[in-house]
Amino acid sequence: MRVSSSSTLWAEMQRMMTWRCFGWRWAVIEGIIGLGGQNPKPSSVPTQSGACDRRRCLAAPCLTAAASPRSHNLASLSVPLCCCLFNQGSIQLDVDSSNSSPSDAETNVDEENDFQGERIKRRKVEVSETLEVIHGSKTVDANKEEIGLSLESTKPNLCPPHPGFFKGLCMRCGQLEEDDGSGVALGYIHKDLKLLTHEMNRLRGADLKKLLRDKKLILILDLDHTLLNSTRLADVTVDEEYLLKQVDFLQDDPDRSLFKLDKMHMLTKLRPFVRTFLEEANHMFEMYVYTMAERSYALEMARLLDPSNTYFNSKVISQADCTQRHQKGLDVVLGAESVVVILDDTELVWQKHKDNLIVMERYHYFASSCHQFGFNLKSLSQSKKDESDTDGALANILNVLKRVHQMFFDTVLGTDLSSRDVRQMLKTVRQDVLQGCKIAFSRVFPSTARAADQHIWRMAEQLGAICTTDLDSSVTHVVSTDTGTAKARWAVQNEKFLVNPRWLEATNYFWCRQKEDDFGISNLKKTE
Amino acid sequence: MEKNMQLHPRHFGPHLRDKLVAKLMKDVEGTCSGRHGFVVAITGVDDIGKGLIREGTGFVTFPVRYQCVVFRPFKGEILEAVVTMVNKMGFFAEAGPVQIFVSNHLIPDDMEFQSGDVPNYTTSDRSVRIQKDSEVRLKIIGTRVDATEIFCIGTIKDDFLGVINDPGAAA
Repeated sequence: MRVSSSSTLWAEMQRMMTWRCFGWRWAVIEGIIGLGGQNPKPSSVPTQSGACDRRRCLAAPCLTAAASPRSHNLASLSVPLCCCLFNQGSIQLDVDSSNSSPSDAETNVDEENDFQGERIKRRKVEVSETLEVIHGSKTVDANKEEIGLSLESTKPNLCPPHPGFFKGLCMRCGQLEEDDGSGVALGYIHKDLKLLTHEMNRLRGADLKKLLRDKKLILILDLDHTLLNSTRLADVTVDEEYLLKQVDFLQDDPDRSLFKLDKMHMLTKLRPFVRTFLEEANHMFEMYVYTMAERSYALEMARLLDPSNTYFNSKVISQADCTQRHQKGLDVVLGAESVVVILDDTELVWQKHKDNLIVMERYHYFASSCHQFGFNLKSLSQSKKDESDTDGALANILNVLKRVHQMFFDTVLGTDLSSRDVRQMLKTVRQDVLQGCKIAFSRVFPSTARAADQHIWRMAEQLGAICTTDLDSSVTHVVSTDTGTAKARWAVQNEKFLVNPRWLEATNYFWCRQKEDDFGISNLKKTE
Repeated sequence: MEKNMQLHPRHFGPHLRDKLVAKLMKDVEGTCSGRHGFVVAITGVDDIGKGLIREGTGFVTFPVRYQCVVFRPFKGEILEAVVTMVNKMGFFAEAGPVQIFVSNHLIPDDMEFQSGDVPNYTTSDRSVRIQKDSEVRLKIIGTRVDATEIFCIGTIKDDFLGVINDPGAAA
């Protein structure tokens, strides 16, 4: 440590010498040689003054005074010189005897102060110039222990709107501020980090520019039932016990999708195609994980999905980071809303950002997951099946994402990317799905209810179809739960498509018009 | 420094002093106080005073005077630290037990954040790069001492501050 401090010192001295070739250069050298030879006496060097009072030491009288009587107690006379140049180094040296004689040092320096006061004022002009060059700092030291003249910062310190806090210390000026609850805690980056809104907006703007330059958007992924499915070891049914044996067998397989987490007592199955999905999405998006699970679980899952920590480095947001209970929000995401696409299986938690959301079909692999949602069907694990790799939900959604990405960065529409909004793109793509379809509903919702408020009505409209309550020749589809209704019979008579409501749901999940034949009403009756 | 150590009677015996010193080391090394900073290591025990038996329990309190190496960062101090984490808000570095955060406000404007496999800050001509495990020289501009940890805010925007050694760059 000694060596490095003196090398910094020498470098600084050399710089000083090259900048100002006044006669007092020699005084400077002599002063340094004198100081270098003798260890600065710890007791009399003011270890507490944080900032450097360089002005005083650069002022010629001080130096000549220091230079000539070398035999004097150099520490006391050259206090101004050494306090600035040695402070950086000596604080480390004097750390043990930190409070040995603070009062001593202070009175010493105070005397120097009064003595040097007027001379310093005279030389202020030249000196401040040098200072700006050498010191170059823009922070104002609000150090109460600073004795004498305070340094003016070269740039105005913009800190009263503190940008953010790291454990209570302002990130820009270093002042300790009391926590008044105004910042957003970004616990997922570091547990003691808090940012204020204006700073977050600034960061978002800067991030947006960078993303648009790199041709990337932002993708926020949910974990449970979207990218993977987990179950507690205690909830594993008899039919699923073969999985436990399988997971031990697959220990070293790099492509395995079944994992047993002993510490958390969980069994996790990754959704088919997820690794390819992440890899491809990484080229087009900057990815975040946002889950309502606990942080330890979220980090563990991120580690399984992303072993090399390239996708989700410091971007795993968990329940503890949400600012509102049971609601996910984009306020903790350092990205502009106009480029965020969200992939989640539940719409409920994204009330404020429904326009950015793509709802995914839920991935129920384990029996416990099916039970949780009230399905009495056999789960995928019990039937020893799995979602199709190339034709499953993730593959489909990847295509949608590719389309949206392509649309966004399409140069044909003009070059101003910052005014584009991915929400518009999503809407446009969605509208394309059922374009040209006119749908009438029969026995799907009560006729006394307001049709336009129904969820299924709105879903169909979002997908680009026109919904109507009356039958006429332009109707193309009748959605019904029963073949016996008037509308259903009319549809069969006029050779219109007669489908059950699942057709609409499937179309919504897969973002492409499903084959109507697969969703006939007889099919519905079969499964129920 | 001085500390009052309590010793359980089971330790009394010929090795009382050693046991006391061992207990002192275990208790004090690695702790931190506002006044002195981190106690890094005990270098020697000066004096162990006469023990006083506490009323009610059998514990004996010895006032121990010892020498130790302490570490305390000061505002304005220049330190070398190793970068531990880099993200778009700045980077975190560690200098021994002290955690230092350098926000992007205090990183020179010509250095830009690059995300990717190895997130880093790099200049436009790629001559200087700050990434995980780089050594940087930084200046402390604010400190806060907690019960067990010291946090600092640092800057590399001044002269002579910045990367010392880049692990990723070729020589």
